[in-house]
Amino acid sequence: MTELVVSNVQKWLGGLQILKGASFTAERGSIVALLGASGSGKTTLLRCVAGLEQPEIGQIVIGGKTVLDGEKKLALPPEQRNIGLVFQSYALWPHRTVKENVGYGLKLRNVAQADIEKRVQGILDRMGLGHLADRFPSQLSGGQQQRVAICRALVYEPRVLLLDEPLSNLDAKLREEARYWIRKLILDLEICAILVTHDQSEALAAADNILLLQDGRIVQQGGPQEIYSNPNSFYSADFLGANNIVRAKIKTVDGRTAVIGGDNWSLNGTIRETVGLNASQDARAVIRVEQISVTDSPAADGLEMNLDDSIYLGDRWEYRLRRGDFVAKAHGAKQLASGKVWARIPPESVWVFSAGAQ
Amino acid sequence: MSTHAPAPAALTMTKAAAEKRYPARMPKNGNANAYRRIVIGLLAIAVLAPVGLIIYQSFLTAAFFSPRAKFGFDAYRYVFTDKNFYRALGTTAIFSFGMVAIAVPLGGLLAFLITRTDIKAKRLLEILVLVPMFISSIVLAFGYTVSVGPTGFVSLFVRDLIGIVPWNIYSLPGMILIAGLSHVPHVYLYVSSAMRNLPSDLEEAARTTGASIWQVSRDVTLPMVLPALIFAAALNILLGFETFGIPLVLGDPNGIMVLTTYIYKLTTLFGTPTYQLMAVVAVVLILITLPLVWMQRRLLRNARKYAAMGGKGARVSTLKLGTSGQLIALSIIGFWLFVSVVLPIGGIAVRAFVDAWGEGVNLWDQLTFANFDRMLEVPSLVRGIINTVVLSVFGGALAVGIYLLVGLAGHRNWGMSNTVLDYIVLLPRALPGLVIGLAFFWVFLFVPFLTPLRPTLVSLFVAYVVVGLSYGLRLLQGTLIQVAPELEESARTTGATIGRTWKDVVIPIVRPGLAGAWALIMIIFLREYATGVYLMGAGTEVIGSLMVSLLQTGAMNTIAALSLISIVLTGAGLALALRLGAKIHD
Repeated sequence: MTELVVSNVQKWLGGLQILKGASFTAERGSIVALLGASGSGKTTLLRCVAGLEQPEIGQIVIGGKTVLDGEKKLALPPEQRNIGLVFQSYALWPHRTVKENVGYGLKLRNVAQADIEKRVQGILDRMGLGHLADRFPSQLSGGQQQRVAICRALVYEPRVLLLDEPLSNLDAKLREEARYWIRKLILDLEICAILVTHDQSEALAAADNILLLQDGRIVQQGGPQEIYSNPNSFYSADFLGANNIVRAKIKTVDGRTAVIGGDNWSLNGTIRETVGLNASQDARAVIRVEQISVTDSPAADGLEMNLDDSIYLGDRWEYRLRRGDFVAKAHGAKQLASGKVWARIPPESVWVFSAGAQ
Repeated sequence: MSTHAPAPAALTMTKAAAEKRYPARMPKNGNANAYRRIVIGLLAIAVLAPVGLIIYQSFLTAAFFSPRAKFGFDAYRYVFTDKNFYRALGTTAIFSFGMVAIAVPLGGLLAFLITRTDIKAKRLLEILVLVPMFISSIVLAFGYTVSVGPTGFVSLFVRDLIGIVPWNIYSLPGMILIAGLSHVPHVYLYVSSAMRNLPSDLEEAARTTGASIWQVSRDVTLPMVLPALIFAAALNILLGFETFGIPLVLGDPNGIMVLTTYIYKLTTLFGTPTYQLMAVVAVVLILITLPLVWMQRRLLRNARKYAAMGGKGARVSTLKLGTSGQLIALSIIGFWLFVSVVLPIGGIAVRAFVDAWGEGVNLWDQLTFANFDRMLEVPSLVRGIINTVVLSVFGGALAVGIYLLVGLAGHRNWGMSNTVLDYIVLLPRALPGLVIGLAFFWVFLFVPFLTPLRPTLVSLFVAYVVVGLSYGLRLLQGTLIQVAPELEESARTTGATIGRTWKDVVIPIVRPGLAGAWALIMIIFLREYATGVYLMGAGTEVIGSLMVSLLQTGAMNTIAALSLISIVLTGAGLALALRLGAKIHD
């Protein structure tokens, strides 16, 4: 069931347009991630959905209720949108206990006191916070505060749960746990959730659907696997994953396949530029680091390269490869001696795009 | 899909700049805009009505209620041809600049010693240094009269010693010196906060390149706090133009007049109230002070820009003074404290317990409680004390409530109404208390349905609220702005209206700040003397204004007793403020 419809939302700050027509929908029981670099407009888009900022153009429908309509000059304030928002800083009210923080939304909805107690205790218990009900936020750890913030946003069963970088204030280990249980919780409760993040692994691990934003526009959307393995632009390809960016010239083109090369090297690749490319054009290629495999024994299908150094990363080794002006990184399980090595780079993993504006 | 890739750095720069210039806007509805407009509109009326009435009155040929009153420039003609007016104007300018010349270097020095060196007893000094600011200047001026005036305790003691009194405080230099010394805290306040905000890494960077700590102070610290010094100078010029108590007590006996005392004297000069002339001088005064206020606002913005450059890193290194350095520094501060706190307050404390004083009188023979006994027999004086306490304690609390309502109306408000609020708040700062009191006196005479309120404390209270507006609102806005925006936004998204958010989140969070603000407003109201000069009547006497009128009769005993009570009340207020954790350094 579609809970959220955002269509053609545009917002200006002064003379600068920071949202250039964002449209998407979100379903109950799924998580949509708004992913993008800082300044891409993802948080602004979330705040527009929440009603904390007012876009000049666009329409937003939450749970069947139109909360924003630019043409009709309709813009409901946040409190009439029936949403829950989890802030990056958690924004727990310091003068209220955990119980009071969580129960506030129910109190505002005129739920009977006994009922409030029951529901608050219920959700706190579910999150393993039952014993902390009478504490103040300052007496809790960061992870506990975050769970309280989620309880507070969920307890009154909003139509849409908005999460603004909810994991960025947790330390790395806690973050991996948190993104797992947040996903599980949202699927269990069958809520519609929107997650804003700049962390690609967070989006890939937690979301059902990822919207990649660039410069106020949604440049690509799709499932995590789709968006990771089938990028439609250089920006999408480069934003996700760990990549080698290669500047080269296109030597020959045959349909979607092309040969690119530079000073004393050439590679087979796949053209992913939507408008197509021609021979002798400048190009950029994106090769995911994990797609290159390196051996120190000659391989017929491998490109002979020079290994400058092997760097120990703990769980693996990183190889610094070079051939002419082609410089690349790759990973492997063991240390290799510097010198001549062979790199296997599958043509379908060499994504060729135009050279861009520069 | 577009694949153009603009330079990301340039993009984020412009976006950040745009967000700074055009802050995000909440939806227009559900954002308490009606409330904001009503409150700001009411405030505008409360501030603009008296000012408007002054301007109106200045163009009349007689008092506004007189049937003979016609439009005309007679009043302007009279004032602008009066020699005394130009003399008063000149004296005011000399007085203000002289005061700045004393207060700014001394205040800067004190700020440097207390914030940048390892001087002993820092915490105590930080509070003591501010004391003169909290005492009403009429009390201070009177204190100087009884201690170092022609027949003051100290003067007579010195004359016994060396045969003459080598000073005369009833002179322009005397007035300037005393006003300069008592305005040191105003300078100290701004300069010390600028020095505190100065990140130590800037200085450490200079030190690592080889500058000595004195060179760093001169080449890095001084230029960095220069905006604060300039701001403090501008503030003191403004205060100089508005000052009333010191010229009244010290200048008046020798006929030295400034603009405020000129207004005051106009009443007695003609025997009948010459409202139109008073209004003209008030208009002139406003025309001088308003640009000063506006300039100050610009300077403050500039000073903030400097301060904003630094982080809040803990200061690592303070200048080590060494034994002799400590001695010199403490002597400087001690001498200043002696002159500007001990002399006047000590003088009052002694004078209040002495029945008569003059040459050849033995202090010990005269010690008595008679002044207080006699004071308690005069109903108007007793009422004055009670009224002062009522106005300060309850009126102060009510005023904080009003400032809170105004503060909320301006809280996260980016509409037109906020610009209006900004400018309304500036106006009372350009008005001396004497003029505000006069203007409200007229308002309560002029507006029919307000007339019954004039002989009640309500009239004084309204005037006091306007007098304290800019200070009080700054206190409250400073507190409100500390509530993180997300705390309010999270209440909104949870389902609270903006009113509910203020009630359930904002006000509970700022409550400790409100208590501190109350104590500080209480002190402001306690020490106020000029506002009540015209407004008070039988039944609505207040201590400060009683002193002003008693000065004309020369009832020294009573004034001394009232002064001491005023000091004790102020001291109690200050103790309470510190107890409540008020930020007296803001």
